Amino acid sequence: MNQLTLQRPRKTIVAMAVALSLQGSNRAMADMGQPDLTSASLEELMNIQVTSVSKKPEALSQAGASVFVITAEDIRHSGAANIPDLLRMVPGVDVARIDANTWAISIRGFNSRYAQKLLVMIDGRTVYSPGFSGVYWDQQGVPLEDIDRIEVIRGPGGTIWGANAVNGVINIITRTAADTQGGLLTAGTGSEESAESLVQYGGKAGSKGQYRVFGRYFKVESSPLVTGENGFDGWHGTQGGFRSDWDLSPRDTLTVQGNLFGTSEGQTITTLFRNNLPELYTLNDKIAVATGNVMGVWKHTFSNGSDATVQAYYDRFRRWDQALDILHTGDLDFQYHFHAGAHHEIVTGTTYRITDHSYTQGYEMVFGSGHRVDTLVSTFFQDQILLTRKLSLTLGSKFEHNDYTGFEYEPSAQLVWTPARHQTVWASASRAIRQPSWLDISSDLVAASVPLPDGSVGLVKIFGNPQVQAEELRDLEIGYRSQLLKNLSFDITGFNSYYRNLETYAPAAPFFQPLPLPGYLVLPSYYGNLGRAHDYGIDFSASWDPAPWWRLSPGFSMLHMDTAVAGSSGAQLVSSPGNSPKYQAQIRSQFNFPKGWEWDTSAYYVSALGSGIVNTAPVPSYTRLDTRVGWSATEHVQFSVAGQNLLTPRHIEFLDGYQVVPTYVERNVVGRITWRF
Amino acid sequence: MALLKLPINAGRLAVLVFTAPLVQSGSGQPVPEYEVKAAYLFNFVKFVAWPPESLGSPSDPLSICTLSDNPFGDALEAALAGKTFSGRPIVSRQVNGAAQARACQILFVSAAAERSFRAMASDLKGAGVLAVGESEGFLSEGGVINFKLDSGHVRLQVNIKAAEGQRLHISAKLLSLADVVKK
Repeated sequence: MNQLTLQRPRKTIVAMAVALSLQGSNRAMADMGQPDLTSASLEELMNIQVTSVSKKPEALSQAGASVFVITAEDIRHSGAANIPDLLRMVPGVDVARIDANTWAISIRGFNSRYAQKLLVMIDGRTVYSPGFSGVYWDQQGVPLEDIDRIEVIRGPGGTIWGANAVNGVINIITRTAADTQGGLLTAGTGSEESAESLVQYGGKAGSKGQYRVFGRYFKVESSPLVTGENGFDGWHGTQGGFRSDWDLSPRDTLTVQGNLFGTSEGQTITTLFRNNLPELYTLNDKIAVATGNVMGVWKHTFSNGSDATVQAYYDRFRRWDQALDILHTGDLDFQYHFHAGAHHEIVTGTTYRITDHSYTQGYEMVFGSGHRVDTLVSTFFQDQILLTRKLSLTLGSKFEHNDYTGFEYEPSAQLVWTPARHQTVWASASRAIRQPSWLDISSDLVAASVPLPDGSVGLVKIFGNPQVQAEELRDLEIGYRSQLLKNLSFDITGFNSYYRNLETYAPAAPFFQPLPLPGYLVLPSYYGNLGRAHDYGIDFSASWDPAPWWRLSPGFSMLHMDTAVAGSSGAQLVSSPGNSPKYQAQIRSQFNFPKGWEWDTSAYYVSALGSGIVNTAPVPSYTRLDTRVGWSATEHVQFSVAGQNLLTPRHIEFLDGYQVVPTYVERNVVGRITWRF
Repeated sequence: MALLKLPINAGRLAVLVFTAPLVQSGSGQPVPEYEVKAAYLFNFVKFVAWPPESLGSPSDPLSICTLSDNPFGDALEAALAGKTFSGRPIVSRQVNGAAQARACQILFVSAAAERSFRAMASDLKGAGVLAVGESEGFLSEGGVINFKLDSGHVRLQVNIKAAEGQRLHISAKLLSLADVVKK
């Protein structure tokens, strides 16, 4: 339900937001000497062929945050087959594929396979695993055709979304059942022997509701390992789900949705076995995932314009990935939004979440006793104050209690100034925290075995620390959005982020461990909070319509990270700064030709990853080129062919896979057919 | 307007684009949806008669309002710039809530604003407001005219009952071009 608060400011700012994208065409048309449409007759108007330019009402142009929205239109034009590939189009989001089913995705640094400062939600349902505070991207299944938009906030969102919304928030919002009425069949196949298919039907449920049900299957073939051998990262998944939306009364809406998703995956890993030390093995291993969730959202609008929303969900996953990892999550959320006088718009909410997590002994890793139940209680309050007609101040804070660090608060202030109709200047200050994960406090990991001078073997082990604290961010940002010309708009944000209590591991005195026989000298490291960092950089995006049927969207991001570790203890940061690119640049072009033809091209540049402190080899910079041709043969049938990574036969995006041996990203061509009826 | 219907060969266009991207040749191009919708809203002024008490004094402007959400960008304002009807200027503005909406002659309800409209529809009864929407269920929620996208064309649907409820008289000319529903 928290996405509602994201939507809310939008309503007041849409006039400008839309202008950003729509006006371009307005001007371009005037330039081309088009006749004045208002002098057209009704009959003439009816005969005009229209283009639905993506409206981008979601541009949130008066938000005091660095927001980017991927629209359904953008998704269709992208030719992407999965959510990580879609996120590449957001300047400042760092997407790196490790193998065909594993990604490292982060915003503003600290990227890793287990990146843990990002909050990811699907329709307001949190999908990060509290085991390591990160996201298993392979187990997040959403048919791309059903996504209405993906809202991405770069920077902290803790005031509303709470712990973990440190470096960014990604909310994937699906279409309502009313928007997906009728049948939909899609099928696709690719040069890498991939396959995908969606079968969906949406209909009416009585006079007051709509529903859709869908089934989906996909398959991705293995790609070669960076070591040259054949990979084992092929996978396939099957999903079934439904969504229903009901108008209980003119003032009440109810949404109920759920889905089941299962995958069978492979990976090549290099690992030790706790029970068979000290040899290091490289082996092909299976992953099996089964997830399910069900969710209900009830919204009531009062006659005075205020509204209340109650949301509840249950989510469960069962993952075999070196160990059996089972998580149950129950979440109950209440939110109230109202106006107080003419100058205050207030949103307040309360969340209760309970998680039940179990993790059997893994090859290298053990989590405490193997079972843990946690509760999280939080409440937030946010007031948007209209100081003058052109100046608004938003103040708020989250107050949260978790089972690891107890009470936490996450305040923020945003000042938004709109000096002219199509210009917004904003500044924000906020504090956000990442609460420790189960891994941080209780893990027991055999990281390496080392031969010792006396001929025996030592084990490098990393232990959790129950005293570990929340990582803290204090963040200052400024931003400017402008409709420079009628067909040219841009958005730039500068950020200055100070991190404290960043997680580190520090070596401690060696000790002898008698079991398993013959006994080992353990070289232990413990988690702690000795790290600091100062990040700064910019996110830039622009949209230029050279003509009503052509849009160019360039983007650029820069990130500089200075990190430091306190003391002379030899402690190391858990997240290596070298794992995030300093520069990313991109340009996307979308053509809408007559007769239903579309041609889209995008190029992405990612600068080199440095050799970090831990495990990391350098990854060279790369440029990725994707293109797509689509043709709507009729209103109901569309064909498309999309090529990805066309510049080079293959490239590497990330090498620090922990145990996972990365694979090459290969050139790929996919043909798709979509039939709506 | 015949120009707008001129078909353009996609292949030729592609060449054109690469040789001279800004060449003034796009006269046969499709038109952005909201420019057409804005032109429709202006046109409705000529084909709808409002109850006199909802029009105020003869020099008062006619207001075409957007509810909560303005998907037009500048297109509506541009379409109405300098326009008058029977000596009254025609203006556009954004409104929130029933109290403000009652002062409008035309109220455009975007798909995003449909829920807000639904919650306040009963408060607009009899106010002489021509509610124009663009969502499937709009007419059954008290809307008078609905824009329906049909193969890339903007078509009209009219709810006669709702028009009567608002004491609006819609000309036969408009009705003859629209899908008329009675409920």
